Amino acid sequence: MEKLPLGLVIDLNKVVPYKTGSWRTLMPVNIMQIPPCTHACPAGNDIRGFLRVLAEKEDYKQAWHVLARANPLPATCGRVCPHPCEAGCNRRDFDSSVAINCSERRVGDYGLEHNLEHKKLVSGRKEKIAVVGSGPAGLSCAFHLAKRGFKVKIFEANGEPGGMMRYGIPPYRLPNYILKQEIDSILRLGIDLECNVKVGVNIPLDQLTREYNAVFLGIGAQKGLAIDLPGKDAENVYTGVDFLKQVNSGKWMEIGKDVVVIGGGNTAMDCARVAKRLGANVSVVYRRTRMEMPAITAEIDEAMEERIMFRYHTNPVKLVTDEGRVVGILSVQMELKEPDASGRARPVPISGSEAFIPADTVIMATGQAVDYDGIDVQTVDNQWMYANEFLMTSIDGVFAGGDAVAGLETVSLGIGQGSRAASAIEDYIEGNVESSLAQPPVVYSRDLNTYYYNKQKQFNKEAVSIHTRLKNFREIYPSFDLKDIIEESKRCFSCGLCFHCGNCYMYCPDNAVKISPSTGGYEFDLDFCKGCGLCAKECPCHYIQLTLEK
Amino acid sequence: MEQSAEELNKIEKKDLFTSGHRACGGCGQALAARLVADASGENTIACVATGCLEVFSSPYPDPSWRIPFLHSLFENAAAVASGVEAAYKALNKGPVNIIAQGGDGSTADIGFQCISGMLERGHNVLYVCYDNEAYMNTGVQRSSFTPFGARTSTTPMGNKTRKKNMPLLAADHGIPYVATATVDDFRDLQRKVKTALSIEGPKYIHILAPCPLGWGHHGELTVKICRLAKDTGIFPIYEIIHGKVTNVRKIPVKVPVEEYLKLQGRFKHLFKKGEPTPEVAEIQEIANQNIERFNL
Amino acid sequence: MLKQIEGSRAVAECVAMCRPNVISAYPITPQTHIVEDLAMIVGQGKLDAEFINVESEFAAASVVLGASAAGARAYSATSSQGLLLMCEVIYCIAGMRLPIVLTCANRAISAPLSIWNDQQDSMALRDAGWIQLHAEDNQEAADLHIQAFKIAEQTSLPVMVCMDGFILTHAYEPVDIPEPKQVDHFLPPFTPKNIVDPRSPKGIGLFADPRFYLETRYILHRALEKSEATIKAVSADFAKTFGRNSGGFIKTYKLEAADLVIISMGSVVGTIKELIDRMEEEGKKVGLVQICSYRPFPRHEIYNVLKDKMNIVVLEKSVSLGRGGILASDVRWSFPRAEKKDRNISSFIAGLGGRNIPMDDLRYMVEKVEKEPVELEFLGLKKELISEKDL
Repeated sequence: MEKLPLGLVIDLNKVVPYKTGSWRTLMPVNIMQIPPCTHACPAGNDIRGFLRVLAEKEDYKQAWHVLARANPLPATCGRVCPHPCEAGCNRRDFDSSVAINCSERRVGDYGLEHNLEHKKLVSGRKEKIAVVGSGPAGLSCAFHLAKRGFKVKIFEANGEPGGMMRYGIPPYRLPNYILKQEIDSILRLGIDLECNVKVGVNIPLDQLTREYNAVFLGIGAQKGLAIDLPGKDAENVYTGVDFLKQVNSGKWMEIGKDVVVIGGGNTAMDCARVAKRLGANVSVVYRRTRMEMPAITAEIDEAMEERIMFRYHTNPVKLVTDEGRVVGILSVQMELKEPDASGRARPVPISGSEAFIPADTVIMATGQAVDYDGIDVQTVDNQWMYANEFLMTSIDGVFAGGDAVAGLETVSLGIGQGSRAASAIEDYIEGNVESSLAQPPVVYSRDLNTYYYNKQKQFNKEAVSIHTRLKNFREIYPSFDLKDIIEESKRCFSCGLCFHCGNCYMYCPDNAVKISPSTGGYEFDLDFCKGCGLCAKECPCHYIQLTLEK
Repeated sequence: MEQSAEELNKIEKKDLFTSGHRACGGCGQALAARLVADASGENTIACVATGCLEVFSSPYPDPSWRIPFLHSLFENAAAVASGVEAAYKALNKGPVNIIAQGGDGSTADIGFQCISGMLERGHNVLYVCYDNEAYMNTGVQRSSFTPFGARTSTTPMGNKTRKKNMPLLAADHGIPYVATATVDDFRDLQRKVKTALSIEGPKYIHILAPCPLGWGHHGELTVKICRLAKDTGIFPIYEIIHGKVTNVRKIPVKVPVEEYLKLQGRFKHLFKKGEPTPEVAEIQEIANQNIERFNL
Repeated sequence: MLKQIEGSRAVAECVAMCRPNVISAYPITPQTHIVEDLAMIVGQGKLDAEFINVESEFAAASVVLGASAAGARAYSATSSQGLLLMCEVIYCIAGMRLPIVLTCANRAISAPLSIWNDQQDSMALRDAGWIQLHAEDNQEAADLHIQAFKIAEQTSLPVMVCMDGFILTHAYEPVDIPEPKQVDHFLPPFTPKNIVDPRSPKGIGLFADPRFYLETRYILHRALEKSEATIKAVSADFAKTFGRNSGGFIKTYKLEAADLVIISMGSVVGTIKELIDRMEEEGKKVGLVQICSYRPFPRHEIYNVLKDKMNIVVLEKSVSLGRGGILASDVRWSFPRAEKKDRNISSFIAGLGGRNIPMDDLRYMVEKVEKEPVELEFLGLKKELISEKDL
């Protein structure tokens, strides 16, 4: 022990502090959690990641790389995805969600404008994988496998790659040049692409299973289904899928003055809006109401803005023909009764309410199915393809994903399943058991401390005028301003991950939050932390939580 | 000396009052003391009164101050600071920031004589009062800052007197700067300390420092309780510059006092089976008077 | 230079020559003239110091505490009630080892209120850890202040210079006021040991838990005991520089041949010396031990000079109510028990509340103890004022 100094006066530079950490019963820990946006995203995008790069560093290039890690089609998704991420965004409970979809589009567009390239993680593995179909699922699977160094070849039945993105979604939603640039960027990872080859028809599936270490089937559900009505085989009657494919292939369609679209899904909306741009009066016939229509809300809104008429409670009974051509449909009014097996209200015809609707063209966008031609795999109830939890089909070494497996879903789901399948394929090839680590918890708005944010209006994308829209097939939302998107990205709460607000650093009464010399982030000095929990309480993003002291 | 707006608004963290002190977890006073010391900087002498701050921060042999400090007695921090200031003037040393610091008692009760003398004589000293609304260090006994209705160990049925308004009393000594602040808005608190130190003459800053032990709440709620104290109108935030009240913090959304009272064990007796007693209405009345008087 | 000067003024001029940096005091009779004179000296620019007019003695002591801790040479003055009011700070200053000099113009303590002289006030603080020096006359009072600063700064102990209120403070006597050059030569500038200074941050006034407090008290006690050497050395040094004996530990008068020895301190010593001279003419051999340094208590010195003296009487202007004479207890303790033998040590309390101590009363005291020892007696007690039940 030191000898007592004169007057007990002490030199403050020589003090050894007393370690108050021994008082603790609770301890703060940093727990990175999954934000609800990523949790809701079918592709598993690191949304928080790319938004925070924009917000904190204003660096579009780095943001693109963060986004492209999981999703190789950001410019596409930013145009066509129904953004379930925004529905989950915690900011919705504060003022309004972050405009993630618009941000994704702007970052994706930046990548294309600046020719940013995907990075390979591993090179030169000798295994070969065959991917059937170049829709979102196939492209995503090929992308992830190529990044891991595998040799990948895509077999595409159509003349150009893209699947439903190319032949289903009209150009005013997804311009062809955008899609092509993104696909080319993916292919530049060293992926082989052969078009006009339909596997199962032009090449047998078992040839692929022999020549390749694994096969992925991303064949989608591209067969349009018509309702079985008399007159459906007339030449001016199309399924929705066929109609869109022809238009998207560049074929000029003579559709006449009046077009009737039957159906309530996204395909029906696309058909209606395409027909409108081709100069027709369009009405959509649907047997229930808007509330039951499965199409994305925004699509229905935009269709209504474009003065497409919606005939709800209306069911076609018969296609009226004259000399082998349809001239209109006979429809009946429906009323809604108790829900049927699909969970929607059951429509029942009202007798005596038949009416004739004239039509020069009838488009039946009433369902799609998988084209199993030559593909002999097990199905579920004869409809969608069977795949186990590792996305492997009934054939060993043959994996599948996307619409073919999940039903009519979205581009982002296809991307997500393609990526999962890629991991499963890698495990299959290496003989790994898939790891079953627990996922971090999701952080919800009740866990956040939103006191530190100010209400700020959401970025609003503005469409060109209806008049301009209908004149052509150009995109209806022009490019967004780079600065606006950066401002919007700052609205991201960074749920579950530290964004260096400095609250814990400033509020700790014991100076027990230090800046780490190696990472620059905040860490706890457990020699002095008393476990009071102020840091956890005032952390806006719930990154700090208290646990019991060991 | 004049400081630019940028310098005034910069957040300071230098750990001049550092870890190892024996304060309770979540102590508002410890947090405030550090914010004040950092805002003032290394060229500071702290004259500290006996109380929680002194007891938890200056035990031999490991005090947690890293700026020179002088502790004498419970009630004479202001007089001691006057002496230090006189010495620096007489010896032509300095300039130096001299900050006298004390709690309820050392400022407004037993120490009132000394602070009144110091303010009246015009010493160039900043006095910072950490208001935790009772004599906490000796066991949560009532002080002149204890608010109406609060339970303390010497007012077990609830305090019957109203809080003494020390900032206005200080201002009426004719000093150039008085301010009130809370520990949740550290930017504001540090800005006020820096502003005060840039003015010649006696200054007074009154900081609300919640005491988890004495007020009966978890340490983690210290910051939240400060916010509620501000937003209910119970603790108005303002500056008094040369006798004029300015920079009043307006309350964005007024909160009823119950939100504030319900979080604290010292007001538990004011809610019988969840229903407020008449004292709560009186506390609301006090808050309303503050709102009106300072136009919050 | 020899001046016919009021005691307070002499003290003020000498204190000013010691160049204190900070002076702070609160007026209380009979210290007021010292403080007013210093205010005038500072106001006229003759002394470059900060003169702080505070709101109480407590504040005054706190101000000088702060000033000393910041490196200034600090001075204050008080009496009686004021000294008691600053009691907390007095203890604090000693515990912090700050070399402050305080003048105590000894005065009685309330209640009942009395503004006149006795030594109860400084006695009440004898245990605080201060060096306490008592002046016999105005010359010594002035000289002791000059010595006090030097003693304080060398020992890191505060010094209280006690001078009898009114009797010394308000009396005009010839006093040799030294030249400023002499004082500067004698008293170098203050080089403080531990101060609050941002350039070298120190903590002053920490609290000591049971592991450490006992030792701090031991150290302080030993420091006081060891200050004996400094007190004597400074007094000798003073004699060399200024050419007169002043201060020191104890002084004796006509002790060698004395049959009876009177021990006392303060201004009453002058009267006692007068009595001794008269009694010598009458053939009585009486001697005097004058205590200059009351704290640290000169018990070894007392023992050494009095070990062969068998009849001792202690005369003091203070009392420990419920016990008896304070100085008398201290003196009794100076003789080891085993050796007490037939020695008589009588205790007389006199002069309380400014009561005059005439020669006749002293003569009565001497004659009484020549016959028999007196356990405790209040000299000059007017029994006619006391009712039967209070006797």
